[in-house]
Amino acid sequence: MNWRATFLLACWMPWAAQALASEPSNQKDPVPSVMWDFYHKQLLGQAAFVFDDRVKLLAPPFAEDARQVPLEIDARAFSGEVVRILAWAELNPLPRIVDFQPGERVLPWLSIRIRIEQATPLRAAVLTRDGLWHVGSALIDAAGGGCTAPSVVRTQPGWEEHLGEVLGGRYPRGDSSRLRLQVAHPMDNGLVSGIPEFFLNHAELQGADGQRLASLELYPAVSENPNLGFDIQGPGPTRLVLQDNSGNQFEAAVP
Amino acid sequence: MTRSTRRPVFALSLVLSAMLLAGAAHAAVSNEEILQDPKNPQQIVTNGLGVQGQRYSPLNLLNTDNVKDLRPVWAFSFGGEKQRGQQAQPLVKDGVMYLTGSYSRVFAVDARTGKKLWQYDARLPDDIRPCCDVINRGVALYGNLVFFGTLDAKLVALNKDTGKVVWSKKVADHKEGYSISAAPMIVNGKLITGVAGGEFGVVGKIQAYNPENGELLWMRPTVEGHMGYVYKDGKAIENGISGGEAGKTWPGDLWKTGGAAPWLGGYYDPETNLILFGTGNPAPWNSHLRPGDNLYSSSRLALNPDDGTIKWHFQSTPHDGWDFDGVNELISFNYKDGGKEVKAAATADRNGFFYVLDRTNGKFIRGFPFVDKITWATGLDKDGRPIYNEASRPGAPGSEAKGSSVFVAPAFLGAKNWMPMAYNQDTGLFYVPSNEWGMDIWNEGIAYKKGAAFLGAGFTIKPLNEDYIGVLRAIDPVSGKEVWRHKNFAPLWGGVLTTKGNLVFTGTPEGFLQAFNAKTGDKVWEFQTGSGVLGSPVTWEMDGEQYVSVVSGWGGAVPLWGGEVAKRVKDFNQGGMLWTFKLPKQLQTASASR
Repeated sequence: MNWRATFLLACWMPWAAQALASEPSNQKDPVPSVMWDFYHKQLLGQAAFVFDDRVKLLAPPFAEDARQVPLEIDARAFSGEVVRILAWAELNPLPRIVDFQPGERVLPWLSIRIRIEQATPLRAAVLTRDGLWHVGSALIDAAGGGCTAPSVVRTQPGWEEHLGEVLGGRYPRGDSSRLRLQVAHPMDNGLVSGIPEFFLNHAELQGADGQRLASLELYPAVSENPNLGFDIQGPGPTRLVLQDNSGNQFEAAVP
Repeated sequence: MTRSTRRPVFALSLVLSAMLLAGAAHAAVSNEEILQDPKNPQQIVTNGLGVQGQRYSPLNLLNTDNVKDLRPVWAFSFGGEKQRGQQAQPLVKDGVMYLTGSYSRVFAVDARTGKKLWQYDARLPDDIRPCCDVINRGVALYGNLVFFGTLDAKLVALNKDTGKVVWSKKVADHKEGYSISAAPMIVNGKLITGVAGGEFGVVGKIQAYNPENGELLWMRPTVEGHMGYVYKDGKAIENGISGGEAGKTWPGDLWKTGGAAPWLGGYYDPETNLILFGTGNPAPWNSHLRPGDNLYSSSRLALNPDDGTIKWHFQSTPHDGWDFDGVNELISFNYKDGGKEVKAAATADRNGFFYVLDRTNGKFIRGFPFVDKITWATGLDKDGRPIYNEASRPGAPGSEAKGSSVFVAPAFLGAKNWMPMAYNQDTGLFYVPSNEWGMDIWNEGIAYKKGAAFLGAGFTIKPLNEDYIGVLRAIDPVSGKEVWRHKNFAPLWGGVLTTKGNLVFTGTPEGFLQAFNAKTGDKVWEFQTGSGVLGSPVTWEMDGEQYVSVVSGWGGAVPLWGGEVAKRVKDFNQGGMLWTFKLPKQLQTASASR
């Protein structure tokens, strides 16, 4: 991923002055974390940012089930301005959750379920057109072990038969509609002994004629049988195209 | 509620990998390079060190005079708990080694340092059905992709620089008993694979794919009566029934579950433009259930690489009743007969006979035993058909649960099994890893059930000698004479390599990689790798020095099926290691008279 960091860094050169003005190091971290500097460098390429409570990161205060923690990322305060949303769990062994790039017809809002290994700060960094990262934060407490617990899916006989099956629907919400989906996939993260990585790593939401409405890179911090929710503006059928790291490809039509 | 479907991997990943790779220094593998292998000893881009599979290297920096100074430079562990049998042949391209491990794993390793560059672990379902250990025999390289087959019968294409999946295709349904363990091969820009599953009553088939996107190009069944196809624009076009029609050499419906799986892959002869594949045993093992020759089981097939048409066949064991698969490699070689060049091909069969065929038409030239004891046949007739000893065919069970048991040599694991022999262009000899063993075998009643073992036989293996089973033999394919032999206590199960340096390399289950004088059979070097060596050694040149590599890791079919023999090997520990040796530059000597 170094190429990406370098690329971002290069892009940010014109905004260097602005970055200095925002004095990031003096900002107060709403969820003080020993890992912030590391991820600021590794994932954001040390680009300009603000801790911004307009980016809402909603998670339960305590993870009842550390393997299935519901998370809602809401950057609708920046509707029309959002380029990209990155989310991660700072103390996870595999921290990255999602790289979400909503297009014009998809609101900067995402619901997803994740695994957490221990109590951790969570982040959602929202890149707006002006080149600034707006970082939303939350803290979640947990008994732990969500990333290294054996899969539930795999104990069910015949799980391979259902691999990639998508359950879901689209529900009207005023001038938009909400798409809620669950995909059958073990999302093995490689941390359980003897089970290699096997996870959905790419999803694309497409419109009627195959144009891209949104794309997501998924990481193995996402829970098994991933749940995803999007808000879509305007009518017309949609399709979800999914791909895993073993090269399997799945597709679901959502009218 | 929504509807979900699977569809082939799309081009996005290709585009993504192309972007990631922009500016990568390493060149793609071309068809020309594949055909030139191994004349360019800086790399190994084919399974078999050349498309003909001779396993002969033109290198002689390392030779009988200086092999004593061959020394390890690095070793690489496959890691994890998934050890089991390691049977791969590494490939080497631009200083990177590509190889496979047990449980459908692929590794890319820096050939200079042994540093791991990437690893791909196929996610296997719980119900894979490999007959004979969870092994894999290696990858194919083409363009910027690395190809291999998985135990759940998929072909997977990986980006050679990142190890990420570019495409993945299901070749056959693993629930019916199909799997893939052989290395695929590239012929004229097509990716060719066979399938395993003869113990489950599958229908053997050979398929060709477009290596760039995994699109199926042709399919050729290896059992008489099944239709072959070529594919154009995603449409299947009939291309003739294998063997013309069903029922000629099979009774009733048994051809529908006839086995004949081409599980060991194949080789290619550019001089005749033929793919040479072997096929496995007919199913079930109980031969009384299927009177007839049972084509094309236990055969060698020559296929047109363009459309998979069978150009000729040679059946080494018609109406097999002993699990004498005919999969063993058919190696193209030319020799002079009274000034006339003969385009021949040789194979050392499970059944104990060594065959020399005319590879332009499949006609039998000569055949002779290459092991000391063969009881099931008294010899070969003028066409190469065995003269059966009917007393050695286990009896029909009739109304009993079990038919009469007979003692037969060789055993079903074969006078020679999968482990590839090597042909030395200087000595004109084949170096054949063979085993001296027999078996008690009897038949039982059996009915086909999808995905279940389809044998109808019971068996137990017995050594023929107290002090050895394995015998590495140097065999003259023209005179039929054995020039030398080297005995080994445990059964040999590893591939052979020979070089212009008058050397022959092979490994032993006891863990040694050994080198022999190709002319005399004297053992001139050995190294203990820590676990049994079942892999096929390779040699190449890098930075002016000659390297040798082999994988180590005991397992395979012998400990699973070996009966009394398994006792001899039960104390051998498993492993999973890639060893690399070289002759340091300062110790190179001019290749002396040998």
